[in-house]
Amino acid sequence: MKTAQEVDPGRVGRLRRYLILGYAGVVVVAIVFVSFLAIRTTDRVLKNKVSTMASALNVQMKLNLDSYLSRMETIGTLAFAIPESYTYDATAEGLDEYEALATEKEISDKLYSLCIMENFVDYGIVYRNNHTVGKISNGTVTQFGDRLFEDLHSMVSRQRTRDGWSAGYGDNFKRIYYVKEIHDNAILVISFYTTELESVFDNPEMLGDMRICLTDQAYRTLYASDGASALGTPLKDALMSRIQGHEQATVIDDEYLVTVNRCGDDWYVICSIPTRIILEEKNEMRLYILAAALIAAVLAVLLGAVISIKLSDSVTHMVTALDNKAHIDQLTGILNKRSFEEYTQTRLQSALVIEQHALILLDVDNFKGVNDTLGHAYGDEVLARIGSALRAVFSSDDFLGRIGGDEFCIFMNTAAPEGTDYRRFVEEKCRRLAETFRGMYTGDNKDYKISASIGIALFPECGQEFGTLYTCADKALYGSKAAGKDTYTFYDASMADAGTREADAT
Amino acid sequence: MKRLTAAVTACAMLLCSGCTSAQVVQSRKVRKEITLSWWGNDARNEYTLAAVQEFEALYPEIKVNCSYSEWSGYEARSRVRMISDTEADVMQVNFSWLSEYSPDGTGYYDLEQLDPDKLDLTVFTDNALSYGRMNGTLNAVPIAMNAQTVYINKTVYDSYGLALPETWDELFAAAKVMQKDGVYPISCGSKSMWLYLIAYAEQSSGRRFLDENGKLGFTKDDFQCMIEMYVRLIGENVTPQVEYYERLNLGDGTYAGTVAWVSDAVNYMGDAIANGYEIIPVNYTALTPERSGEGWYAKPATMYAVSKNTEHPEESALLLDFLLNSEEMAMLQGVEKGIPLSSAAREVLEGENMLQGVQYDASQKMESYEDLGEMQPLLENSALIDLFVEDCNKALYEKADAAAAAAEVYHAYREAG
Repeated sequence: MKTAQEVDPGRVGRLRRYLILGYAGVVVVAIVFVSFLAIRTTDRVLKNKVSTMASALNVQMKLNLDSYLSRMETIGTLAFAIPESYTYDATAEGLDEYEALATEKEISDKLYSLCIMENFVDYGIVYRNNHTVGKISNGTVTQFGDRLFEDLHSMVSRQRTRDGWSAGYGDNFKRIYYVKEIHDNAILVISFYTTELESVFDNPEMLGDMRICLTDQAYRTLYASDGASALGTPLKDALMSRIQGHEQATVIDDEYLVTVNRCGDDWYVICSIPTRIILEEKNEMRLYILAAALIAAVLAVLLGAVISIKLSDSVTHMVTALDNKAHIDQLTGILNKRSFEEYTQTRLQSALVIEQHALILLDVDNFKGVNDTLGHAYGDEVLARIGSALRAVFSSDDFLGRIGGDEFCIFMNTAAPEGTDYRRFVEEKCRRLAETFRGMYTGDNKDYKISASIGIALFPECGQEFGTLYTCADKALYGSKAAGKDTYTFYDASMADAGTREADAT
Repeated sequence: MKRLTAAVTACAMLLCSGCTSAQVVQSRKVRKEITLSWWGNDARNEYTLAAVQEFEALYPEIKVNCSYSEWSGYEARSRVRMISDTEADVMQVNFSWLSEYSPDGTGYYDLEQLDPDKLDLTVFTDNALSYGRMNGTLNAVPIAMNAQTVYINKTVYDSYGLALPETWDELFAAAKVMQKDGVYPISCGSKSMWLYLIAYAEQSSGRRFLDENGKLGFTKDDFQCMIEMYVRLIGENVTPQVEYYERLNLGDGTYAGTVAWVSDAVNYMGDAIANGYEIIPVNYTALTPERSGEGWYAKPATMYAVSKNTEHPEESALLLDFLLNSEEMAMLQGVEKGIPLSSAAREVLEGENMLQGVQYDASQKMESYEDLGEMQPLLENSALIDLFVEDCNKALYEKADAAAAAAEVYHAYREAG
């Protein structure tokens, strides 16, 4: 039964797919863009943070070293607390040997007491004649030989304080020397193993991959956190090229993070770590971001799809409702006049002459009396029941329409059951319809007795166009009215000259 | 739609909760730190530091802080540490310190209370361990035995057509030949000179420095004998003054011999050997060859003890065992401190054919004497040795006569003994 034009589901489906795909595209592009920004920002922030931390670590190491060296210098300076240390000159001529020995013993004892708690290799005074007082190790004496005073004195690099630091003497990088001129013929020397610097450069365990090294002004390694084997070796070219010429800098690129700080005596504290190690977490973070973006994209697309489906369903319902309102007679639930005529005309245009159809015109007898007697509301109720009655009698393939106040029209699409004459099939429908009318309102119980007058025009016998068929059916209806109402009449040629209800009305 | 709204709200809340700042806690296992102290020369310092690194690699949960120095001044540092209760957890100690700091056995940790699974003492003989017992408590474990030994540069002596000296007279005779070239037949640092002269005095008087009760056995005359001998040794160019003693002169043959510990053999004579000289640990100098060894003393070379105050006895035991018995330490140390008393370490050295060289020869020489005296703390008292040298100088520079100088020394020892 054609009651309304349905919204095209294929078109709605396509629209829905376009909507979802469009939405998904926008979301994915947005997420890719945001992820790209997030990864870039994360990279930048992480690099900045790591650089800052490495720089801070380096500064801390430099401060540690400065503090350590300063303490050594202080201990060296303490030698001046012994007056004999700067008044006695072992090179002076005419010294009383016994007195000299006593003085040297006194100086030695006092020097020992000053460095008693230190892991010094040397802490003593060397005179221009290479005579020594205090703690001068055999290793040092052997190493310097007869150039002991001369070479130690050449290590004085700071003129104001007449002292200096040195390492790598004779390519032996296991010791670090501090020298301070006592007077023209005497120099104080302190030396210690470079391993002592382990406490200075003690590195947090979590930064175990960070290589910390101390170099001299020629970038030769004086200390390296990764072992003594590097002592004396030049700084790796890869690191040198990044920090050479800088006194305080942090460099980070795809290969290395390197920080450098110049210490007091033209030495450099250099911390380095391959970038891939420190940014290992960055790659992990990038994976997280990408995974999160992927999940977000999938969720967004799913959410969009759900919302889209919900929205398109609502639209479909709304459009369908509007569509129904435009095509359906709201009172009876069947097609209004315009829609009925459109559908029927369209159907007839495609109908073949071998097909069989019927256009049935129905006019409610005495309906004016219903309105006049029982009111319009009751009349509306009656019309609604007529709509239901029509739907009950005819099939869903048939077009049902209300074409006037109390006039209805039916275009039968349904084929007659096999072996049944089509006219008899239509006649049966009309008979059932008339009976239904008779059963609905009998005049009892305060209702108003109504009936139906029906006119029938058959396709293609009566015509092949809607107008022709309608006219024929109207003439047949006129025949039914003329016959006393409450009956149905098939159009035949004899009625060609009969009048119509409109003509009669006029 | 309501369910959808609820799901979206839940997701939003979840995201918001993810955005709130959560407390991040990173906890790390703290390494136990123990300290190790020792004295020694460059070689000892280097191999001990290397051994510590190997130990830390073996036990990454333990960090060892090292405190070390040459012998000079170390004794004073050790005293400060012991008195101030800041001594190292594991420390190299001198034999004489046991009676100084732990006469009743309570001054150091009782090593037999340490976990035997961590410190294996079964590789030491009871006799070896007896050197570390004080009042029945095992306070220290000896690493090797030690004694003053006479090392002679045979090449130099041969060049003068002299036989290896075994008596004092032969040394004086050698000086007469060598002095024209500025070569000394023998040489000593102050402590070695002190012990060398004690041997001479004991041989001369027949008295022991300490009597059987551990009291001073020497008289003023004995000290006078020592001082006079010193003055004579210097005067006749047998040996340089102790203040002018320079080990470098051993390397080029200027000193044709020296008196030094067994444990110092390589340290003192290594350069000479490297320079092609043949170095022989000869019989200990005596009045006559058959009295060799008389007045000479032996002791554990160095010992290891654990602080009585240690808070990490288990870690200390592990380190101690590593230093005494491990293959790693045995290989690094070799015979630098003498022939190890630990059978485990000795087996390693035997297996590696490392029991040879001048240090080993010196050990063999020491072990050839059965009647060496047991070193006593009073014999190694640095302050008193300094006083002795001072008084020797008084006699040498005629600031006092030998008798007066000897009296001063005698009273000081009398008081200390």
